[in-house]
Amino acid sequence: MSSDLQVANQPVSHVRKYPIDGQAFKPMVEAALNWLRTNQQTVNALNVFPVPDGDTGTNMVLTMQAAYDEIANSAERNVGKLAHAVAHGALMGARGNSGVILSQLWRGIARALDNREVLDGPALVAAFHQGRNTAYKGVVRPVEGTILTVAKDIASAAEQAITETTDPYDILDRLVQAADESVKRTPELLSVLRDAGVVDAGGKGLYFMLEGMVRYANGQSLDSANFTVQPLSAMKLENAAESIEPGQDYEVVVDFRPHENLDLIHFYEDLEEMGTSIQVGEGDRMYRMHIHVPAENLYLPIEYTKSIGTVTKVAIENLVAQMEEIERESSAKLNLTPVEPGQIAVVAVAPGPGLARVFASLGVSAIIEGGQTMNPSTEEILRSFENLPTDQVFILPNNKNIILAAQAAAQLTVKRLTVIPSRTVPQGMAAMLRLAPDGDPEGIAAEMQSALDEVETGEITVATRSVEIDGVKVQEGQFIALLNGKLILAASSLKDATLSLLEKAHVDHFELITMFYGADTPRPEVNAIVDSIRKIYPDQEVEVQDGGQPHYNFIISIE
Amino acid sequence: MPDESNPIGSIKISPGAIATIAYHAARQSYGVVGLTSKNLVNGLTQVLVKDPTYGVEVTYDGQNIIIDLYVVIEYGTRIKSVALSVRNTVRYQVEKALGMPVSEVNVHVRGLRVSDPD
Repeated sequence: MSSDLQVANQPVSHVRKYPIDGQAFKPMVEAALNWLRTNQQTVNALNVFPVPDGDTGTNMVLTMQAAYDEIANSAERNVGKLAHAVAHGALMGARGNSGVILSQLWRGIARALDNREVLDGPALVAAFHQGRNTAYKGVVRPVEGTILTVAKDIASAAEQAITETTDPYDILDRLVQAADESVKRTPELLSVLRDAGVVDAGGKGLYFMLEGMVRYANGQSLDSANFTVQPLSAMKLENAAESIEPGQDYEVVVDFRPHENLDLIHFYEDLEEMGTSIQVGEGDRMYRMHIHVPAENLYLPIEYTKSIGTVTKVAIENLVAQMEEIERESSAKLNLTPVEPGQIAVVAVAPGPGLARVFASLGVSAIIEGGQTMNPSTEEILRSFENLPTDQVFILPNNKNIILAAQAAAQLTVKRLTVIPSRTVPQGMAAMLRLAPDGDPEGIAAEMQSALDEVETGEITVATRSVEIDGVKVQEGQFIALLNGKLILAASSLKDATLSLLEKAHVDHFELITMFYGADTPRPEVNAIVDSIRKIYPDQEVEVQDGGQPHYNFIISIE
Repeated sequence: MPDESNPIGSIKISPGAIATIAYHAARQSYGVVGLTSKNLVNGLTQVLVKDPTYGVEVTYDGQNIIIDLYVVIEYGTRIKSVALSVRNTVRYQVEKALGMPVSEVNVHVRGLRVSDPD
């Protein structure tokens, strides 16, 4: 973040009310909740323990929501009474570990503010002091590098700050800074954080709450859609990640130097007529303006800023195109099936991203990348399932060369690992279709194994050397076809090889042909070949899927 | 005794070992200020006993690992949330160390410690 720029998102820059009575404190609590909610996913992403009591960010938001609900309609002017209500709400709504700690913090804060009419500097210091003490009482062996440590550092910073200023807002400013530094130090104190390369989630959540209060006092937005002053490169992704509404076709960012003092209120109003998501960054006699506009208003903001100053830089992003990109990428994410202790988890070896997606959609719980030319090691196989919370694991090697490594893994793990000896990807998929989530594992394994022979597998690849096997002569560079792992023919074109393979496989006796095309096979060529297949075999259903596997132009499932 | 056997040998894990893991996981859980005897007769005076399996019972019936925890919780915290957290943490830590599933973690709240009365 460029430090010389300050956000002046709303025309009025400060909402500092003195003294802070109950009614002035209430919106600050709300701001803490809102800013925490805005950053909820950021906090959730920091979770390192896959403990199934939900995500830290979500737990903290729900706890704070319950706390705020308690005062949302309150007209209480006494800040102590209001804080007690917040603490009560937090206690009742405490969710998860972080929520319980948060409720204890509030409980301490409320105790310190007992009978206080207003929140002044000394009261604020006392509040964080008592908050820390109460929070630490809840655990016999406090783990440092957590939200507790951050609460402790905030309390110390408050005691330091009061020696320099008694203004509660100025103190809060320093506390945010202290919290930020404390959060950054958490990995030094807690090795699980360091190993995972993250900071503590609860501590970060607490930081966001304080920052929310300060942002509110500074008149800054608490809704990230309306806020960003960052280097342009960083801005792009964050904005596009939000869903784009109609009329937000382009993002326009203009850096400019106004001819005379900029009237922010008018400037803001004028911009509002052109578009939405307006932000204005203010720096050393420099401004940065950000807006989302519909296509027809694309150049308006630029013309407008030119009329009031010297434009130094313009950046335009097509948001619609970016959204499409993001949607495509997110759909590429694997949707693996979670397992519960005792259930059967299936792990599949998949040689390409498309095949991995298909296996994921069929219900596997983990994917091992690998295949013909990149056999996964026993080690990699072990690692794929050791963190699954069940000891009942089935593995689909999907390649005859990986079956052995999988069997070796079965000898090395304390889990009950069953190898379903699928020799090809289509066999693995056929077996997946027989998986029952509950029931006798041995019976299910037998059922899956029996499915292996119910599908024929065709594979097309390019010969890497000249050779003669099983009476088939192959020249290097020719396309070769394998049926159930056996070389059956060579041809000079991909199409010839594919059609001949299907003929030799007696496809006309089957019903469904699924073609998984490889990473190196262009889609138009695939389409041309598939069209021919459909013409020759009008009674068979032909499906085409992006397999993404290397080396193999096609993996074909015939059933 | 949980037992994993295969052709190259066997591994046996005693309930006491499992109890030690559970004990430490429980003591690090926020809101839990101590573990206590199953029988209240022995009472809260023994909350700070150093025995690393005190207040933890592990039973293994040949199939399932069941852990019972007898805890004292800090007054002023939400007991249900604390108990849920303890259960999850203990289950996670034990399963992680053992590589075997734990079928039940039962949390018995035996008392509250009042540091700050409201």
